Formats: sequence, C-alpha cells, structure tokens
Amino acid sequence: MPTFLVLAVLVITIVLAGLVVARPTLTVVRGGKMLAFLALFIFPVFAGLLGLENHVERSKQTSFCLTCHIMGQYGKSLYVDDSSYIPAAHFQNARIPRDQACYTCHTDYTIFGGFNSKLKGLHHIYAQYITKPQQPIKLYHPYNNRECLHCHEGSRSFEQGALHTADAQTMADIKSNKLSCMSSGCHDTIHNVKDLDHVKYWKPVQ
Amino acid sequence: MMENQINPIHSRLRLAGTLIMVGLVVQALSLLWNHPLSFIAFVSIGGLLLAIGVILYLFALLNIPAAQAEQESAKGQKLQS
Repeated sequence: MPTFLVLAVLVITIVLAGLVVARPTLTVVRGGKMLAFLALFIFPVFAGLLGLENHVERSKQTSFCLTCHIMGQYGKSLYVDDSSYIPAAHFQNARIPRDQACYTCHTDYTIFGGFNSKLKGLHHIYAQYITKPQQPIKLYHPYNNRECLHCHEGSRSFEQGALHTADAQTMADIKSNKLSCMSSGCHDTIHNVKDLDHVKYWKPVQ
Repeated sequence: MMENQINPIHSRLRLAGTLIMVGLVVQALSLLWNHPLSFIAFVSIGGLLLAIGVILYLFALLNIPAAQAEQESAKGQKLQS
C-alpha cells in the first residue's frame, strides 16, 4: 500500500482516538462504546499492521540498503561499466528490479526467506550502530546457487550454455549447489569493491 | 454533582487513547523517514506505546463491572451521609 494511504489511515485513527480522549463520556451510550472499540482497538491494530507492512516493503529498496555508509561501495559497484561484474550486469540490464536490487539477489528464496532476510537486517542495524561492522563485510553463508536459479533455471542461456552442459555432472552440480556459480573461472567477479577506483562507470541516460 | 466526578473508566480510556495517539504519531513520523533507524523507532517506540494503549483499553473493558460497582457504592455512601 502506498505510504500516503498508510499515513491517511494513521491520521484517521489518531483523530478517532483523539475524539475518545477529548470526550470519554461518549462511551456512555452504545454508539460511543462502538466508536471507542474502533478507535482504541480495531483501527490502531489495523494501522499498526499497515505501517509495519509499509516499513518491511520499503526495507527492500536499494536506496534503503544504501542509507548505511558501509554499503556505499556496493551501491557504486552496480554502475561499473564492465559486464563481467555480475551485480552491475544484472542491475544495468534490468535483469533485476533496480529499485530492489540488493534484496532481489540477497534474499533467500525459501518459504521464510523474506522473514529471515528481515531478521538479518535487524542484525545489520545492531552491527552498524552497536558493535560496529567488521571490515571487510562478509556474507553469513557462501552464496547459494538457489538464488541465481530462482530466475535462471529454465532459461535458454543457462540450460543450454556451453560450459553448463559440458558434461551432465556439471549441470547436476550447479543445480544441487555443489558447484558454485561464482566458482573461479565462472561468474567470479562480484562487487569487487577493492578495485572500484580503477574501473569505468556507466552513466544512465536521464 | 456526580457528573463532575471523574469516572475511573473514562480516565482509563483517556490514558489508553493518549498512549495510542502518541504511538500512532511516532509511527506516522517514522514513515516519513526512509532509514533503518526509522523502522526501529516504529517498532520499539510507536509499537510499544500502541501495544500498551490497546492492552490498557482492553483491561479497562474487562474491569468495567468492577469499576461500575465501585462507583455505585461511592454514590450510595454519599447519599447516606
């Protein structure tokens, strides 16, 4: 739901609650009791859930991830003018939604993947503001091919790629995550933030 | 004369409503700021105030018969005196 609609619901709820606070004697009659129930229970819970949903959706935005200073270089790497940079190639060619670039590749495509990502996000906040993040930052686990295959599995370039089909075992190993897509010699240039000072950058047409 | 007295149920409703309003204001303000800390403010300040307010309201509903009996006995004592 758009933020302005959530804000509208919040404002309506504040007004209704304000009415009960200003005139609690309204609750003497049945209609007033119903108003109080709506204003002090139904609407606040509903508005709170809408707000929570809005926050969770906003936390998927690339701009949200990049509000933390430490992620700045990773955001910059999306503009590298070199197709061997996997995140840059995906971002620039709109293979992933640009406004949710980080989330699209870094969430787990499992039943509770989105929820787990948000829990990790809370840990990121803790690390950012309480313990200070370790440098260089690292993934919690080695990148799982499942996240790549969420989109690429079944696509012609993946299923019929010369190296992917070099032998039957290679494809089986990729699909079972035994052979990482980012193995050396394959798609092994990721954000590569340490070399960002020596590369050219893509300038999007405004 | 009795109407001027503060009904305990009404004072609880006022307190619950005020907490809910403050919580909702915090939540609304947090939605205007796209930052991880705004989410923390939303949950830990806004959510907490909202939850306390709603629970207080529900407790006030549960205690309405007791509060009414209390008020009735106070009314009776005043009439006797």
